[in-house]
Amino acid sequence: MSRPKQMTRAVIVGHKSILKETIDALHDTNLFHVEDFVEDESGFKISKPFKNAEEVSKKLVKIRSIANYLGIESKKPVVQKSDAVLRELDSKLNELDRTISAKTESISQLENELKDMDSQKREVLPYLSIDLDFDYFRGYESLKVFAGTLKNNLEASQISSITQAYELYFDPQSKAVVLFVANNDADKVYELLQGLGFKELRVPERGGVPSELLRSIEQKEADVTRRIESLKGEIESLKTKYADFILASDEVLSIESQKAELPLRIATSENAFIIDGWTPTESYDRLVSVVNNATNGKAYITSLEVREEEEEDAPVEYNNSKSVAPMQQIMDLYSRPKYFEIDPSSAIFITFPLIYGMILGDIGYALILGSIALAIKKAIKSDAVSDMMNILIYCQIWTIFFGLIYGEFLGFPLASTHEEQGLLPFWHTVTLFHSIGGEEFTFPIHRAHMVMSMIVLSVVVGLIHLNLGYLFGFSNIAREHGMKHALLEKGSWMIIELGVLIAAVGYFGGSALMYVGAVVLVLGIVMLAMGEGIAGIVELPSLMGNALSYARIIAVGLSSIYIASTVNDIAFGMVWPDHSKIGFAAIAAIIVFILGHALNTVLSIIAPGLHALRLQYVEFFGKFYEGGGRKFNPFGYIRKYTEE
Amino acid sequence: MVDGATANLFLDAAGAKAIGASIAIALTGIASAIAEKDIGTAAIGAMAENEGLFGKGLILTVIPETIVIFGLVVALLINSA
Repeated sequence: MSRPKQMTRAVIVGHKSILKETIDALHDTNLFHVEDFVEDESGFKISKPFKNAEEVSKKLVKIRSIANYLGIESKKPVVQKSDAVLRELDSKLNELDRTISAKTESISQLENELKDMDSQKREVLPYLSIDLDFDYFRGYESLKVFAGTLKNNLEASQISSITQAYELYFDPQSKAVVLFVANNDADKVYELLQGLGFKELRVPERGGVPSELLRSIEQKEADVTRRIESLKGEIESLKTKYADFILASDEVLSIESQKAELPLRIATSENAFIIDGWTPTESYDRLVSVVNNATNGKAYITSLEVREEEEEDAPVEYNNSKSVAPMQQIMDLYSRPKYFEIDPSSAIFITFPLIYGMILGDIGYALILGSIALAIKKAIKSDAVSDMMNILIYCQIWTIFFGLIYGEFLGFPLASTHEEQGLLPFWHTVTLFHSIGGEEFTFPIHRAHMVMSMIVLSVVVGLIHLNLGYLFGFSNIAREHGMKHALLEKGSWMIIELGVLIAAVGYFGGSALMYVGAVVLVLGIVMLAMGEGIAGIVELPSLMGNALSYARIIAVGLSSIYIASTVNDIAFGMVWPDHSKIGFAAIAAIIVFILGHALNTVLSIIAPGLHALRLQYVEFFGKFYEGGGRKFNPFGYIRKYTEE
Repeated sequence: MVDGATANLFLDAAGAKAIGASIAIALTGIASAIAEKDIGTAAIGAMAENEGLFGKGLILTVIPETIVIFGLVVALLINSA
């Protein structure tokens, strides 16, 4: 069982003239967690950032906004020399900025034109059915023009009853109307039109026949859209051309800005500076030699005695082997351990995939998910992704193991039972012994046929897991507060369990052991009351809840089996009636089979994963884990796109 | 007007077991759903503030699943009794 890395508190003191060299050296080693200085009465003040800070951060903002605009994502790094990048930075950045702003400006101009044309088009559209030149609509002295739409139909006779001097254009379909009448009759005609729900529409200002106007507008629209597309294409090509440069310069500038802003976090006086922080004890010597080399021994660096209460907020760095390291992702998802706590990464390295495997337990899904995980790991070179995929692969190893025990392949039983033929004709189910609830305990274990035995087994696994948690808690408390507290607070739980176990054996065996168990149980409860007071007693029933919670191992597993075997039943039910012809039903069956198992594969990550995780976090961690440790965040940068 | 045959239909042992099991599953399912609904909404609210809380929100959301798991265990017990 590992604990987080041992930390040493170190202080670096020196004259301000060597501040820059010291910062550069610290940044390169990437080993020193700088504690922010808070101003107090000591007379030390935080310093100002280096002179170039403002300029660097300006450029950084610019480069990031460009990267954001172009949608540049991190990709396989092309490593460049950082000084070469810095040399070209200004000219390239300006050029890029200019090109992009010119192009975006023209794009927005063109888009405005497009909007304009759209509104022109909308003005013309109502008149499309009345193909009359718009120049005819205006410029009369004695004529009034009504142009618009109606709600109801308009008959020529309705107008002619008012006046004979009119010219009517009406389209019954679109209900568009254009009516020319003499000024004298205009009022009466207007009344009539109003009765029919007349709505006046604007007449486009330019002359021309509507259909031709529309055609020319549409032509222009297509033209403008094409130009926008080509501009966007040019921007896209900028992206491919400059991606490496942008990623590299972002990195270089980030590093520069980190260095330039460090003085804001440290204590300085007129002529001296103090940098306070933590480093893993194992790398302390290296840190000293690096700083001394960089400053010709002018900086004074020393380690400090750490008081117990200071230890509480030491930054926490995991101390795990390479194979366990991916589990740290799962730990961080919950909370980092405290400095003095046990780091359960190596425990969940075993228990998480084990429980996942117990839940899923299917060779077919394990092979599918395992190969998907391997493929993703190959395709995406990112630390976080590869850690997650490693966890998934660990899980699949256990899933194959349990798949063999359960004899399952994509929901099909591999071994034959008494009722049905298995996939592998030579594998027969062997009855090992008669067990709980009159069920036969067999190998391979057919989960759907021996539910009760599996529930009991799951709870037993759960009890083992829980007791591991109590042991960890015991160790934590023993280290922190001494043996007596550990025994009362965590040991008492184990004694209670022991008591229940002895009593149960006695009860079923019909012997006096029952009374021994009861005595042990009472002893455990008394110890618990001494250790945790009344709160401990109140929590007693939770022990049963926690243990029963592990029944989900079989429950979630069963749901996966039932989905898989339902898919199989449907698919094979479709082809079964007639083997001779491979027709539509067979194709449909294949589709059902693939889609159904694809769905179940996705569920096979989510359901067992979440439940296995939950058993770790809620049931297991609840017994010993506090968490809330501060991340060890060394001053430095892990370069990906550049090198010195 | 319940005659003997209908009464038998209702009191049939296998049927009563199935109904009992289904009540166990249904009620605990609803209970988990209600609990998860509240947690889920709160988790989404928290995620809107800080996307890094996705993992924690997910875990918190499945915590009430225990209720329905208990229901399932009871249903299985009823069925195998």
